[in-house]
Amino acid sequence: MKVTVDRDLCIGAGNCALTAPAVFDQDVEEAVVILLDESPPESELVAVRQAVDRCPAAVIQLHP
Amino acid sequence: MSLPALPLPSEDVQPFDPPPEYADLRSSGEVIRVACPTGLDAWLVSDYAGVREVLGDGRRFSARPGQASHMLASYGPDAPVDNFTRWDGPEHIRIRRNFAPQVTHARRLAELWPLVERITDEAITAMLASPQPYPLHSRFSTSITTSVIAELIGVPPAERHLLGQAAGALFTTSTTPQELREALTPLYTYLYQAVATRRVQPGDDVLSRMIEHSADSDRPLTDGELTEMNAALLVAGFDTTASMITHGLVTLLNKPGEWEKLVADPDVATSAADELVRYLGVGTGLLRQATEDTEINGQKIKTGEYVVVAVQSGNRDPALHADADALDVARKPGPHLGFGHGAHACVGQQIARMELTTVLRALATRVPTLRVAVPLDSLRWKTDSVVRGPVELPVAWS
Repeated sequence: MKVTVDRDLCIGAGNCALTAPAVFDQDVEEAVVILLDESPPESELVAVRQAVDRCPAAVIQLHP
Repeated sequence: MSLPALPLPSEDVQPFDPPPEYADLRSSGEVIRVACPTGLDAWLVSDYAGVREVLGDGRRFSARPGQASHMLASYGPDAPVDNFTRWDGPEHIRIRRNFAPQVTHARRLAELWPLVERITDEAITAMLASPQPYPLHSRFSTSITTSVIAELIGVPPAERHLLGQAAGALFTTSTTPQELREALTPLYTYLYQAVATRRVQPGDDVLSRMIEHSADSDRPLTDGELTEMNAALLVAGFDTTASMITHGLVTLLNKPGEWEKLVADPDVATSAADELVRYLGVGTGLLRQATEDTEINGQKIKTGEYVVVAVQSGNRDPALHADADALDVARKPGPHLGFGHGAHACVGQQIARMELTTVLRALATRVPTLRVAVPLDSLRWKTDSVVRGPVELPVAWS
């Protein structure tokens, strides 16, 4: 799986970092998403899907 | 022929559920035209996917008319767009990025847990030392959420009454524009002065941190923006959360087995917090305005027409959960619309989760015999507000 994020539209809600902390973090300056792992292991699939669904700004894309 | 009225919650009849007409509307996916309390007509979207689509697309559906101008007489959709809650696009995102490091960043939140836990523990100790029945909403829920947000922003106890005064006017449906201005002025005046003070003498509070953070940016926040942002956090931050604590507890205590799940394992509080917001949140809906000719669920919507999204109905959609009408405090937190969705989703949602989780965990641990002290049908419910829940909740314990 491959994950991409659109930092320009991120509002820093923080749901991704809470849902899938191995894959997403937030930068200190603006709390904007940081993609820690753009090709996470399959074991993260459920958490990444949840992060996609819980992102209010819809800035996370999952490419199977 | 006149339009049907926007269906609104009647908690005295159905304390925990959206109006029954939403079940049919939602299953048909139909988008109907309704008349709203403030006199504007709107398209009503009530299914999960439709609500999510409208709130998630700020380009097609603008926040410009105000989040609740279908309910609140105090600021009409034609009023000047002078506040970030009504901005779209990059201007709005700029404001969010000045909020987020202070109120949503995971590491910042970790610093705030002890404050919320201390305030909650003190409130429970005070409750347990008081006569029964105890007025939970005013003395416990509102007291905790007021203290948390006021301490975050650094508002001293002597000024905290300004929050209640402002929130009362802001969320009451019948407030006139003139009354709203008068009710908000003392809080805005206080905050405007606080901005000036903290510019000179910064502290460790959210306001000082916002000033410092934005000073390094391309476009530092103005005094007016800082005042608006902190007023929004203060006012939205205590009343909505307090009402969710109170409404959430009366719901939990009336659904057989739910409070018991929490008592058996107080760590269920984490999922219970999200589940209560899903189950009860934003019963009066949110307003948007179409920016172009478009459609939702096959219904054509013209440029400039209003759209109301029925958030609580959307969260009860079987497409989200097969048993969406059942409250299950152990339901794994997942996507829902209770904090809104899209760029305007609740900026304080992580703090609200923290407060709800802390309160539920602490009450289940320290007051496991908590019960509502009066029959459910004798409770009075707020009917003139967009923030719903019981006016007061007498509780007892043994």
